[in-house]
Amino acid sequence: MPPSQQLLLAATLIFVGALVQALLALKAGAWKQARAQFVLMALGFALQTGFIYLRGEEVRQCPIRSLPDILVFIAWSIVLLYFLVGPAFRLSLLGVFTSPLVTLMQVMAFMNGFAPYKPKGPINALVELHIALALISYAAFALACITGVMYLVQERMLKRHQIGGLFYQLPPIQGLAHAIQRLVRLGLLLLSIALGISFALHLPMTKTGHVIFAWIVWGLYAVISLLMWKHFTSPRKTAWLAVIGFILPFISLWIVTHA
Amino acid sequence: MPEPTDIRSGLVCVGLNYKTTPVEVRERLAFPEAQVPAAVEQVRGLPGFEESVVLSTCNRVELYATHALPSGKDGHAALRQYLIERFELQPEHAEALVLYNLDSAEAARHLFRVVSGLDSMVLGETEIFGQVKAAYKVALDTGTTSRALNKLFQQAFTVGKKVRNETTIQRGSTSVGSVAVDLAEKVHDLKECRVMLVGAGEMSRTCAQSLLSRGAKSIIVSNRSYDKAVELATEMKGRAMKFDEWEHALHEVDVIISSTSAPHFVIKPEQIDQVMRKRRWEPLLIIDIAVPRDVDPAVNNIEGVYLYDIDALQAIADEGRRERIRQLASCERIIEEQLEKYGFLKPGGGGDLKLA
Repeated sequence: MPPSQQLLLAATLIFVGALVQALLALKAGAWKQARAQFVLMALGFALQTGFIYLRGEEVRQCPIRSLPDILVFIAWSIVLLYFLVGPAFRLSLLGVFTSPLVTLMQVMAFMNGFAPYKPKGPINALVELHIALALISYAAFALACITGVMYLVQERMLKRHQIGGLFYQLPPIQGLAHAIQRLVRLGLLLLSIALGISFALHLPMTKTGHVIFAWIVWGLYAVISLLMWKHFTSPRKTAWLAVIGFILPFISLWIVTHA
Repeated sequence: MPEPTDIRSGLVCVGLNYKTTPVEVRERLAFPEAQVPAAVEQVRGLPGFEESVVLSTCNRVELYATHALPSGKDGHAALRQYLIERFELQPEHAEALVLYNLDSAEAARHLFRVVSGLDSMVLGETEIFGQVKAAYKVALDTGTTSRALNKLFQQAFTVGKKVRNETTIQRGSTSVGSVAVDLAEKVHDLKECRVMLVGAGEMSRTCAQSLLSRGAKSIIVSNRSYDKAVELATEMKGRAMKFDEWEHALHEVDVIISSTSAPHFVIKPEQIDQVMRKRRWEPLLIIDIAVPRDVDPAVNNIEGVYLYDIDALQAIADEGRRERIRQLASCERIIEEQLEKYGFLKPGGGGDLKLA
């Protein structure tokens, strides 16, 4: 196994460890300020970064040209946004909900295998930026999905009067609802910039499948964002939209990279 | 220069608390805050005494001291006599006075339990930690503590933190008021939370006070007797509202506490449905303390509305108390381990609180 993949394997094991540690702490009722969780996530992030660097050296470009690489890049972006968003929005337990998704994405990357590839032509920085921004926007939508799950869990416990260990650790539902809106807006902004760059690159929409799918994803989240902004739906329905909505970008990645 | 007292043999604690002494006696033996500095000096000035700390709260009065007297019993007797003289107890009251007399490991264990909230009326409460810290600071500032008690109290604070961090003894709500606060905190940011009382019963007053003490933004009080509403609103620095107007203000509040004596539902789904549209689906917590209930249970089916009646609140408080009791054994184990670590006990050693 190449050193890059060894790093990724170690990162995956650490994210699994972070999840197990969190679940055991929650079960024992000893979950406190999530310090251990934060340290493990930081270690996993450092190893992911190491993988992306080494993989970039192997393929001699930004490693975002195959499905496994894209999955790892989005997983890396999710963890990056977790560090930025978690403390800022006071989203306790975000790491607990983030680590399973990140683990799943990295396991899927391993299952697909990391085939070698080489640059098809000279590297265009704008193209790289366009792809990277689009993938980071997908990470923001992924985090909105995770926050949506947290909202639905907390909402269910409040409705059913299930006041237990997890209830005390999750943030207020009002805060979660606001975090979902901000994450969707952030993703939409990043995706808009990425699509704006595609115009500058004169990428013909009809001949580039990933741009078409990106526009579909943009349209979906623009509608979701509008519904949130105008309060046409309840926060619960908004949370469901954020959760279910992420299925589309996730599937689109699969289709685009296998087309 | 005399040798410093060995904390393991020269430590005594004499006290009374809510378990040993009724409130009418406790209030007579409480030290007013302003008189505690003089009290610690008086205790330290007793013959043979070296250091002192006086802890006086609504639930307990305890004197901690170190001495160089021949035995712990002499220390207990001196402190008992001090209390009798200090509060000028009549002979019959002095004779009836029930105190616990502890020394060395027993006294240290008791202090560790007190700091950890294990000896409190509400098991695991954290206010006592601050009260012990304040009592120690008074003694420290007055100069009545030295090496032995400084070390003991620092150890006690470490144990208190350890118990809090390694168990969930302080988690969960044990009263209806604190359940209301916990629920409100999980729905809204309390600092932005606007509360409405519909009816001014004693329980709703308690809930509202708990919310305000934790930072709720504002309060509206509506009651059939407008005078009573004004009185309560003034007391809570809120706004009174006539009883036929409260429905119009429902959409402006985030928490409704209802406790009218109406024999029928006063808050119905159709009203709240309208309110939620006006609120643009911002979540609404409704606490129904009334019996018979004020709020139609169907209200809980409306999206964004979280309805808790008195039984639901009581069930959560009961579970909170049970959870704390479940944690008790772990807390006691930590305290025993720390007593061993600090040299108060040989491995496997112990001692129990004794009543005089």
